[in-house]
Parts: sequence; structure tokens; C-alpha cells
Amino acid sequence: MPVNPDLEQQLREALRRVDPAEGFAERVQARIERERLRPQRPRPALYRWAPQALAAALLMAALGLYGWHAQRERQGLEARQQLLEALRVTGQKLDLAYRGVKDAARPATAGDAGA
Amino acid sequence: MRARISCLMALVILALLPQQAALAADAKLALPSFQALESKASETVSITLDSPLIAMAARFLDSDKPEDAAARRAIAGITGIYVRSFTFDSDFAYPKADVDSVRRQLSAPGWQQLVQVHSRKERNDVDVYIRVEGNRANGLAIIASEPREFTIVNIVGSIDLQKLHELEGHFGIPQMDLTDKK
Repeated sequence: MPVNPDLEQQLREALRRVDPAEGFAERVQARIERERLRPQRPRPALYRWAPQALAAALLMAALGLYGWHAQRERQGLEARQQLLEALRVTGQKLDLAYRGVKDAARPATAGDAGA
Repeated sequence: MRARISCLMALVILALLPQQAALAADAKLALPSFQALESKASETVSITLDSPLIAMAARFLDSDKPEDAAARRAIAGITGIYVRSFTFDSDFAYPKADVDSVRRQLSAPGWQQLVQVHSRKERNDVDVYIRVEGNRANGLAIIASEPREFTIVNIVGSIDLQKLHELEGHFGIPQMDLTDKK
């Protein structure tokens, strides 16, 4: 396929070797250095710490729930113990009263107690 | 005489029927701090169980255990249990003033003395009071003075002495003979 001589000439003109302007290499180096030294824009903290924060939150929630349950159980058992003790004391004193009434009702010991 | 005792106990049980919690508010006694007693006592029992605590305790009662099952029956309808008990190393080491302040509250309208026991032999006094409002009992108070022990019990709410009686044997309390065995 014949090549248009004008086009070839135009291409040669356009793609001819051109020396860079004076100081081009220094400017490129300086720019590279600037880019290197420029602080990197950090990724948003939310994205960076989200998995860890989520894991920590879940752990804390689990620990909190466990602690709450343990505390409730401790309080419940303590309340149960107190309830049984209160009923025991109440029963004892009612029994004391009953025995007093019973003694008073017994003719032989009528002088010992009064109700 | 036994028949009279049985009648008395039956009357107690009948009088202490279930009642509305609203009526129970005044059945709670203002118990003194008993600081003077605490410092002298060799052993102190101070129990304050209001309605939420009783409900919480009830959830931890094991119905398979006879003691717990009896306790569950006894607390049905009870909204408050307050116990102060002091044990001393010497006889009658407690001042009467605190006891009297409680007794004064029990002379208020509504309270009725149910049983008064004074035993010279055992040197103890036991007074049992109930609070009645509108033909319904909504409170119980026991003041027991023994040579080396002083106890006040105040129970607020629907009280059934028969259920308390059922506690016998479960708490090491000897069985009471409530029936007439002629």
C-alpha cells in the first residue's frame, strides 16, 4: 500500500525528537521528592477501625451481659437466702408464742406462763 | 383448753385472709435503726425484703426442694418482710426504749394484739399483732424478747399463718399441734 509522502513528512515532523527544556529533569526529580515527602492522606478512621471496633463492642456487650446475669443471679440467691432466713425466724417466734399459749393452757404449769 | 387454742389459731387463720396490697402500706412499721443494739449484740440479723426483692427471691426458689416450696406458698401475697434480730452474750443487755418505740406504733388504730405470752419460767415475752383493715388482715408484727435475744418481725401483705405453719419441719422448727386431739 503506497504511503502518502506528505503524511509521512507530517508524521516525521510531529514525532521528531525534541530535547526537553532546560531543568526538566531537575523539576521532575523535585516533584517526585515532593510527592514522596507529602503526608499521605489517611484512610477514614471509620473504615480502618470498624472491624476492630465492632469486635470490641461485641466482646464488651457479651461481657456486660454475662456480668449482668452473674450479678442478677448473685442478688437473687442472696435474696432467696434472706427470705428463707426471715421465714425461719418468723416461724421460730410464732412457735415460741404457740408454746407459751400451750404452756398456759396446761393446768400443771398454769403459773409459769400467761397468754 | 386445747379446743380454745385451736379456736384461737383457727380465728387467726380466718382473720388473715388474702387482701389488697393497697391496704398493706400502713402495715409497715417504722423500725428504728437499732444502732445501740447492733454495737452490743454478738449476732445481728437484719433483713429487709420489699416487694421486688421478694419477687426476685421467689424466682430462685426451687420447687423441687420442700423448704423452697413451702417458702413459695408462704410468701404468696406478701409484699414486705422485715426482720431485726439481735443476740447478746449477757442477759437483757438491750435497752427497752427501742422496743417501746415499736410497741407504740402497734397501739395505733388497725393493729390488734393477737397473742401475748409472758413466760416467767423461760423469761421471755412474745407479742403477736395483726393489722386489720376492713375485715381483712394486711400485716403481722411479732415482738419477741428473750433473755439473750430480741427479735422484731414485720410482715406486710396477705398473711396466712397456716402457710407459715407449713414451714415447720423445713426450717428446723418443731411441728406445732394446731389440731384439737381430744
